Amino acid sequence: MTWWCTALDEAWSWSRWRPYPGVWAMIGLLVVPYFWNMRGRFERRHALLFGGGALLLWLTTDWPIGTLGAGYLASAHMLQYLLYTMVVAPLLILGVPEWMARRLVARFRLYRVLGFLSRGLWLPALAFNLVLIATHVPATVDGLRQGPFGNFAIDLAWLGAGLVMWLPVLGPLPELRRRGLAAIGYLFFATGFVPIVPGSFLTFASFPLYETYETAPRVNEFLTAINDQRIAGLAMKLGAVPIAWGMIALLFFRWQREEETAQLAELSH
Amino acid sequence: MRGRRLIGLGLSVAIGAAACGSGSEVPSGLQGFTYAERVAKPDFVLTDTGGNSFDFQEETKGRLTLLFFGYVNCPDVCPVQLGQLSQVFASHPDLGRAATVVFVGVDHARDTPEAVRAYLDKFDSRFIGLVGDATSLEAAQLAAAIPVAYREQLPEVDEENPQFYTYAHAGTVLAFAPDGYSYSTYPMGVRQSEWVNDLTILADIGA
Repeated sequence: MTWWCTALDEAWSWSRWRPYPGVWAMIGLLVVPYFWNMRGRFERRHALLFGGGALLLWLTTDWPIGTLGAGYLASAHMLQYLLYTMVVAPLLILGVPEWMARRLVARFRLYRVLGFLSRGLWLPALAFNLVLIATHVPATVDGLRQGPFGNFAIDLAWLGAGLVMWLPVLGPLPELRRRGLAAIGYLFFATGFVPIVPGSFLTFASFPLYETYETAPRVNEFLTAINDQRIAGLAMKLGAVPIAWGMIALLFFRWQREEETAQLAELSH
Repeated sequence: MRGRRLIGLGLSVAIGAAACGSGSEVPSGLQGFTYAERVAKPDFVLTDTGGNSFDFQEETKGRLTLLFFGYVNCPDVCPVQLGQLSQVFASHPDLGRAATVVFVGVDHARDTPEAVRAYLDKFDSRFIGLVGDATSLEAAQLAAAIPVAYREQLPEVDEENPQFYTYAHAGTVLAFAPDGYSYSTYPMGVRQSEWVNDLTILADIGA
């Protein structure tokens, strides 16, 4: 038994469940303090969003997705990346109510850091894309996927990158939340371009790029290493599109409504 | 992966020490585990999946030949090795046409001609399957200078599930150039790019 998922040298089996105590501990460390702080001020909407994010985080990290991503399928690795960065991270952020965020920010003295992220949007965009590239370079994947510490580092980097990327537009503190064209442009540049490069390498490579997934026992005899990699490449290029563009559309319509409201207010004066 | 490669390296050294070299140089650029001196193709006769006698040396004469001892119910090494080769041949049809893959089923109880044929067809219908009784299979493995496979009982086995066992077998693919000699071997973990590189080199030796 290992405390976190890791690549295995044995055939994949859907019936061979594996426990990962480290994953359970991480979920516990996230959920227990959250609901402890919610005592007396329970907010259903926030609790559902945070609980949904934590549930998805657990499903993405634990067996079977975690095990498959750690050592069997590049497509599972990519699914994990997309879920962490595009679904789990925004759900967790949206699940934190403003009063709880203010308490956390004050306790850990994070206000200046969050303010810096919100003002200099290039920094979260850069950090997000650096993590994307670094965690998809074959040397990194093949090196880190072989042990639980490496897999833990990858999972943590993805979750952290997702949180940093989404905070400036979804953050719980209204004064630090970017709106309008700045938020739209930020999301467009942060999520739209860089994934195309590694995604294309994965889709069009002549050979499997990751030794970990290439030489692993096949999960399905019809899913060859190269086809698995192509699926991963396409997922990297297209997987984030619905969420990123959905959010861009939402921000655009909200911005348009705010502009109209402001114009009406001006006319009425 | 590194562990697998070290096992393969040890096996290659053992084979190299056991086999008789003829003194000819091993070509440079090979990425598999190379011998100090080339090794002659083994001489053994088994039965192919069509029920015909198959003289390994005679039937593969002048061909780039890949010899692999495995078994149909193998959960990990065999499907990876055969899968890698089938993918290499799918992406490089010229190599697929140049090479003959010979799979020897070491599980004489379960590796029937029908089972071996059905198994190999999942990878590439051109792969040749050989079967035999325990004695002839052991002779073939000894001729190829690889450790003889042996049956391993799994802890879950009981009288109601006597078929629940695996084989410990050499997971290495032995490659023979068209000149009839082997210059390198390929343990589990060899990558498709390495296969293409080496098969391209080996196909030209004595062709």
